Amino acid sequence: MANYLAQFQAIKNTSDRLVVAVEDVSDLWPSVKEGLEKRLPLKKASLNNKTRNPVYVENLQAEFILTTDSRLRSRFPQEQYLFWFREPYATIVLVSCEDLDEFKTILKPRLKLIVQNEEREWFIVFVSKAHPNNDQATKNAKKVYARLEVDFNTRKRERCCKLDLNGVDASFWEDFDFKIVESIRNTLDRRAQFYEEEIRKMSEQRLMPVWNFCNFFILKESLAFMFEMAHLHEDSLREYDELELCYIETVSTPGKQRDFGGLEHGDDQAALLKPGFKPLSQIVQDDSFREFEFRQYLFARQVKLLFRLGRPLEVVMRGYSFIISFSKTLALHENTLPFCLREVWVISACLAIISSTSSTYDGLAAPDNEKEFYRLHGDLYSLCRIKFMRLAYLIGYGVEIEKSPVNSASLSMLPWPKPSIWPAVPEDASAKVLAKEKLILQANPRMKHFNIQRKQLPLEPSSLLREANRRRASLSVGNLSELIDYRQIDGSGIDGHQKFSPSTTNSMSRTYSGPNLESSLSLDRPMRISEVHVAAEHALENTVTDPDLLKSLSSLEEFEQKYMELTKGAADNYHHSWWKRHGVALDGEIAALCFKHGNYDLAAKSYEKVCALYAGEGWQDLLAEVLPNLAECQKILNDQAGYLSSCVRLLSLEDGLFLAKERQAFQLEVVRLAHSEMKHPVPLDVSSLITFSGNPGPPLQLCDGDPGTLPVTVWSGFPDDITLESLSLTLTNTLNTDEGVKTIKSSDAHILKPGRNVIKLDVPPQKPGSYVLGVLTGQIGNLRFRSHNFSKGGPQDNDDFMSYEKPTRPVLKVLKPRTLVDISAAVSSALLMNELQWLGLIVKPIDYSLKGSLLSIDTGPGLMIDESHTIDINEYAKTMEDKVHAHDSNTITENNTHPLEPKQLYIENGKIALPDWASDTSTTLWFPVHAIDDRMARAASAVSCADSPHRQNMVDGMRTIALKLEFGAFRNQIFERTIAVHFTDPFYVTTRVANKCNDGTLLLQATIHSQVKATLCLYDAWLDLQAGFVHVRKENGRPVSSFFPLVISPSSTAGILFSICIDNMAIAADQNEVVQAESILNVMYGISGDRSNGAHSPTSLKLGSSDKLFFKVAIALQRPILDPCIAVGFVPFSSNCLRVGQLINMKWRVERLKDLEASPSSSCKDEVLYEVDANPEIWMIAGRTMGHALLSNARGSRTEITVTCMPLVSGHVRPPQLGLPAMDDANISCNPPGPHLVCVLPPTLSSSYCIPA
Amino acid sequence: MIASVAVVGHQNNPLYLQSFTNANDALKLHHIVHCSLDVIDERVNNPKRSVSTLNESYLGLLYPTESYKVYGYLSNTKAKFLVVTTDLDVKDADIRSFFRRFHAAYVDAVSNPFHVPEKKIVSRTFAQRVSGIVKAFAAGTNG
Repeated sequence: MANYLAQFQAIKNTSDRLVVAVEDVSDLWPSVKEGLEKRLPLKKASLNNKTRNPVYVENLQAEFILTTDSRLRSRFPQEQYLFWFREPYATIVLVSCEDLDEFKTILKPRLKLIVQNEEREWFIVFVSKAHPNNDQATKNAKKVYARLEVDFNTRKRERCCKLDLNGVDASFWEDFDFKIVESIRNTLDRRAQFYEEEIRKMSEQRLMPVWNFCNFFILKESLAFMFEMAHLHEDSLREYDELELCYIETVSTPGKQRDFGGLEHGDDQAALLKPGFKPLSQIVQDDSFREFEFRQYLFARQVKLLFRLGRPLEVVMRGYSFIISFSKTLALHENTLPFCLREVWVISACLAIISSTSSTYDGLAAPDNEKEFYRLHGDLYSLCRIKFMRLAYLIGYGVEIEKSPVNSASLSMLPWPKPSIWPAVPEDASAKVLAKEKLILQANPRMKHFNIQRKQLPLEPSSLLREANRRRASLSVGNLSELIDYRQIDGSGIDGHQKFSPSTTNSMSRTYSGPNLESSLSLDRPMRISEVHVAAEHALENTVTDPDLLKSLSSLEEFEQKYMELTKGAADNYHHSWWKRHGVALDGEIAALCFKHGNYDLAAKSYEKVCALYAGEGWQDLLAEVLPNLAECQKILNDQAGYLSSCVRLLSLEDGLFLAKERQAFQLEVVRLAHSEMKHPVPLDVSSLITFSGNPGPPLQLCDGDPGTLPVTVWSGFPDDITLESLSLTLTNTLNTDEGVKTIKSSDAHILKPGRNVIKLDVPPQKPGSYVLGVLTGQIGNLRFRSHNFSKGGPQDNDDFMSYEKPTRPVLKVLKPRTLVDISAAVSSALLMNELQWLGLIVKPIDYSLKGSLLSIDTGPGLMIDESHTIDINEYAKTMEDKVHAHDSNTITENNTHPLEPKQLYIENGKIALPDWASDTSTTLWFPVHAIDDRMARAASAVSCADSPHRQNMVDGMRTIALKLEFGAFRNQIFERTIAVHFTDPFYVTTRVANKCNDGTLLLQATIHSQVKATLCLYDAWLDLQAGFVHVRKENGRPVSSFFPLVISPSSTAGILFSICIDNMAIAADQNEVVQAESILNVMYGISGDRSNGAHSPTSLKLGSSDKLFFKVAIALQRPILDPCIAVGFVPFSSNCLRVGQLINMKWRVERLKDLEASPSSSCKDEVLYEVDANPEIWMIAGRTMGHALLSNARGSRTEITVTCMPLVSGHVRPPQLGLPAMDDANISCNPPGPHLVCVLPPTLSSSYCIPA
Repeated sequence: MIASVAVVGHQNNPLYLQSFTNANDALKLHHIVHCSLDVIDERVNNPKRSVSTLNESYLGLLYPTESYKVYGYLSNTKAKFLVVTTDLDVKDADIRSFFRRFHAAYVDAVSNPFHVPEKKIVSRTFAQRVSGIVKAFAAGTNG
């Protein structure tokens, strides 16, 4: 059956559509042909797939062929059976007849004969030529058709339809389509069943010796082909898949040694899209096919179907995995294949898949599929690129390939080709060898920028030189590698070449011993690397048939162009597929090539992308590889900011990635640029290099308004010391974000050592709140750098891509305004007026140092500081408060904590500088002050007993002192207070006439009330009387009895009695003299008090001395009233108790005591003006409260004034008083006097009263 | 032969990378591991493609190329474990058990209270343990 392969191939090539046979019984074909062929392709056909499920096929192609056609007639029955798929799928019998008899006798038997073949699917088209107007003819035709239907239709199936040539009925065509599809479907089902049965039968013989894959293949492919013709591509594809599986199983069964193929010219180009690349008959081998061609053939068939199905994605998917798996297969047969056929084949296969699918891909797929599609394209490009690089390396372009991680990863783990014999140098290749050597020598081994010493990554799995020579040597003398010590050769083929000098090879060649020593030079001595390249190039030229590929490998420029194209293709597709890491890594390769060609702009852009990716994810090792390249680009492009930033990033990479020397070089670059080249300041972020943190421990605390110094730890990542022109930091208030950030500066130039530095920054007064560090800025030359990075007290954190939440630990706390100091008066009790007194001020720092503070004192009116005296200062001991009442006061305030500290201060310009020792302790300052009061003290009459004079005295004695304390580090804090100090006379005096003797002697009692918190001691007292009074017995004014010295304890009183009498004589004598209006009490006294308690002996005197003080009090004495002319007497109430609401009569009796002549003050002769004074809230007065009462002028005349009133409130209330406004009080004698208070009872319970509101 | 093992943090930052090749070419393995993250990203973000492995840490073969293979494993904390092997014929079960031991070693290492999460693992004990696991794996596959 395998012999039929060629024929099978031919049939497949010719038949691409279903055939419908036309049995033209009545020679109608020419007239109906056009109409019938218009129906093709069949618009919609319902077919059954292999699993007998209905499938709708659109535009099913078919072809009408007359049975008389040679194509159908010339077939042998066996062929028909074998290639059944090409046989007609339906037979249309075209009939026309207008005579029933004719039909019965001639046509019917003939038709029966035609349709008797059971295997055919047929139906009859009765063509009526009758004109519609010709009734007879129409009738006859109808009759004949009716007969036809009776004869050929069965119950199950109608096989007849009628076509009117004149006036076609639309329903006919539907009927026709239906019938034709029905026939095709039935035939298809039957044939599929047949093939399946055959295939099943054959499959059962799989393991038998008779098994022949070719036969199986013909059957299977026939079925597949039939499905394909019927547009059942899915089924067809499945058949091919099964076929492939079956083939792989057949191939992999051990035993038979088969040819692999791939040795013919042109085999290096993949035939993945060309099923007709080679005729199957050429690749048949025994009972099967050669694997190399056949698997490609199968794949090409599958791809064709996939394209028909509109699945380019699947093409790529299958394509990629096919290439990978087929490449492995090629590797297995590598020793039989031409040199590097595998690589060349993969390149062409990848490119073929890419070009075929990218043109058909419409981009309307689901996003996921689209990504997958691009990803696979990227993979294909990438694979192609690797193989291409491998080829280029073999022919000597390796020196120009970037030794990047990407290339190294792809190439260094990819084994060398393993041909059975490594290609030898062609005969006349010396010129080429020289050229290659030149290429190698001229290739400047690319120096890393910044002189970075880094071992280059390998691009080869093992030394090419060694591999090539080993493979050649194994051919001649065995294992050459054992003869030559290659251990010195490390990785790179170029290095190997350099070490492998010609002299060495010569000496080596002499040591060889082998059978072929004389045969060929190329076999004798090891090849040099240039020879290896030339040999490989030569061999490749034999392998490669693709002119494009040959061209790409022909020169370095062509290679680089192709390399760029493939790399870009891979990168772009990976970017589309969101495999960004793949894409970006390849971008780096593009950049390298751009850089090489001087296209620095593009190179920088690509390198930036690469660096951003690596930096973003923290792959510092990879970053360290690319970043110098970016820096170099930026340097060339004169992108100073970028270059600086790159240098800083280089510096901030992990330790260990660069040598100290290299890091120093980076720093030098930064400093050089910063100081010399840049014309304008360039901002730069050095967050990764310079980090900072507050000092560990509690934050610096400042009081509101205070400046301070904030120590900050700055970590420098520079390898050497670096000088900063300025440095500043921002502070952010965590409580109040409205304020924005505050910048604190350190203007001094700093030299940052590598590692930890502590820098002190001045903090101006800040608002209250808690501050965290914000941004560090500074300047190096023209470089303005910023750092946002906090270090946590350790070395700077390199993983800046994962910045944790910034620590919110405050470094500075500015406290809310509070009282920092308190100044109060040390003594609350009064001091002596008009004497030099110590005024004590307690200066109390409240957790705040008063160092260097200055106290300004401004005394108010009536107070002055005696500047001739020094000011005492001593520590205010807390114990003082406890002992304040103790009298051994001298020891209290003296505290010997600071025995050497000055205790005497001077006041200058009203300001006192507090000593340093007093800065943290509470101190008491004692000022000598003098309160001045010009007025003389006046004694009060004890009779009137009014407190007001005394009170008046209190206010008069008040003096104020305004204090202003400037303190703080810069005297920025101000404390102001005005303190009231109370001064007083030592005592005040009340007088009263204690007794009036019958002889006219008055006993004047002067009561002395001590007003100070000190013991007063009266040494002497005398009274200078005013005119009209004289001392009894003309004494010198001393008191009656002498008790001096008289000691008056604080707050106690003492009395002195003077006996005086009225001087009746003096009245006349005084006419011409200056009358002393007041009497004066002179007191000689001493005071023993402590200044810490209050009044004390004046400052000028020594404490505790007995020097006497002098005090004068004016006493107003009045001559007694001798002429009361009217007496007012209160008439007692009629009832004992008063009640609220009860009307009572209040009566006063007024009696004239003297004749009117003696009292000239009265203006009205016979009447007296009275007024009742009552509190209206207490009393309701009925009747007149004011009026004149008749009173005759004669002595003894009397009258009675009655006022009716009603108490309104209960309690002890002041009763209404009767006043005589026209009279002087002195002329009124109250006898008996009215009560001060009367008792008013509440109203009785049973009664109710209206009480005015 | 295992060429390299790596632990990558949940932000795709390298936490630990150890190569076991003799040549000084760790950088290419960095590249391979880094690129493999693309595959992990894709698998993690498209769970429907890997329904069967949704609830499994082991991600399987990530990256078949002609010359090496990369296998991946994803912990619950999104730490990724990767193995680059030049051995093209490795049993899945071996790799799985390798990853389980590798994961256990990692868990022990990061449980160290002095280890800062998401920072590189510098523990020597961990390195030794990983080397031991790799050796055991090599012995297991060869033997």
